[in-house]
Amino acid sequence: MTDTRRSLFRRAAGALVGLVALAALPAAARAETTIDDIISRGKLVVAIDTTTPPYGMLDSQMQPTGFDVELAQMIAKTIGVPIEFVTVTSPGRIPALLTDRADMVVSIFSITAPRALQVAFSIPYASQSSVVLAPKSVNIKSAKDLVGLKVGVTRGTGEDGLLTAQAEANPGIEILRFDDYASISQAMLSGQIDAMGGGDYGDIYLKKSAKGDDFELKYVLKTFYFGIGVRKDNLQLLQWLNTFIFTVRQDGTLDALSQKYRKTPLPTLPTF
Amino acid sequence: MQYVFQFGPILDRWPEFLYGAARTMELTASSAAIGFVIGIAGALGRSFGPPPVRKAIGVYVEIIRNTPLLVQLYFVFFSLPLLGLRLSSDQAAILALSIHLGAYATEILRAGVESIPSGQIEAAKSLGLKRGQIIRHVIVVPAVRAVYPSLTSQFILQLLGTSIVSAIAAEELTAIANNMAMQTFRNFEIYIVIAVIYFVLVRLCDLLFRLFSHVLFRWKT
Repeated sequence: MTDTRRSLFRRAAGALVGLVALAALPAAARAETTIDDIISRGKLVVAIDTTTPPYGMLDSQMQPTGFDVELAQMIAKTIGVPIEFVTVTSPGRIPALLTDRADMVVSIFSITAPRALQVAFSIPYASQSSVVLAPKSVNIKSAKDLVGLKVGVTRGTGEDGLLTAQAEANPGIEILRFDDYASISQAMLSGQIDAMGGGDYGDIYLKKSAKGDDFELKYVLKTFYFGIGVRKDNLQLLQWLNTFIFTVRQDGTLDALSQKYRKTPLPTLPTF
Repeated sequence: MQYVFQFGPILDRWPEFLYGAARTMELTASSAAIGFVIGIAGALGRSFGPPPVRKAIGVYVEIIRNTPLLVQLYFVFFSLPLLGLRLSSDQAAILALSIHLGAYATEILRAGVESIPSGQIEAAKSLGLKRGQIIRHVIVVPAVRAVYPSLTSQFILQLLGTSIVSAIAAEELTAIANNMAMQTFRNFEIYIVIAVIYFVLVRLCDLLFRLFSHVLFRWKT
């Protein structure tokens, strides 16, 4: 019995060493996932975040819905395969792609050059401004007015970067980092923070609560453009996505989506 | 799986890891100290207190042990302000962690207290020991010694459990790592580094506990 146990242990140890060795291998060419691979596999796996209304959220039947979710469903329908959603949090979006858990991320993924070192972005399909939200009773017009206040942000979002920079320039701003949008909204409602960084969609989210009308947009930090993220080596998939976004931008489909979920027309979007 | 590891830029930021590890130990030590006191009081109350006290402690222990720590954290941080108690992230984290550990320590120490034969307490009484002396020398110290391994492993669970307090924006090792991950996108390397740091912290605590046991309990069972 000891022998069996020892050999089992040895095998497990061997497997572990093998895994570590595999992980340490330098990046050889990773197999590219093409459109044809997705079609022959018979499903499209899309990473979404269901805590980012109105882009990704759960409806009353607990099914994913929202601007990003419906866009992802259109992509799957156009390719002609069923869709499978993988839910991720905002910090989990890049890891979801790098670890092959999803073919693409459609989740208010702002196009930034540092992120593009890890993943590839499509041309933008929507844009959104990062803003500072706070109760109407608080007078805030710029970063200087935030000194001495607690400001909540979602860790790793654009607002986090922008407000952290403003806090460095204006000592006295306390930044509290939460893991998702629901937590900062909750912290805002329970008075644990004095102001929050969010998208201008944040208004819609807070407005759903009983005290929602007490909050307003204070100032705009920056405008972000959202792209669909894919693994860097999936160039063919990326090219197809760019074509797809071009067509839905031209034929009014995206504008209709924007009206449906964001209650505003689609802004003019640049292309790169 | 192919991935190019780049630890250089991560390890260059070692002061941040050090700060995170110090914060983790601070949260663990303060909540463990409070939790241990709650545990001693809870165990004595549950073993020797009047029935209503026993009942109340039982309710506390069952509520805490049957709900997730994350929910307890959310409750302290997000819900208590609505009842008028506003705590900062760190205060809320320490409070929730202490209450959490207190419940487990109560049960562990109660087992220790119950392992003391009633004859031993009677013997102490007949020797003329005072009530305080009996509680300290005849009940608490032998009880703690009897359950010392369980207590220390609960402490280590507490240390590892602090990794979720970033959910209420408290800063510790995992929160620091998550911040860094968002700045560098080197999640893989960062999580490996903090896993190693947690491992080392736990081993160090384990070593300390062994040294303590030699000092605290001079006689063998």
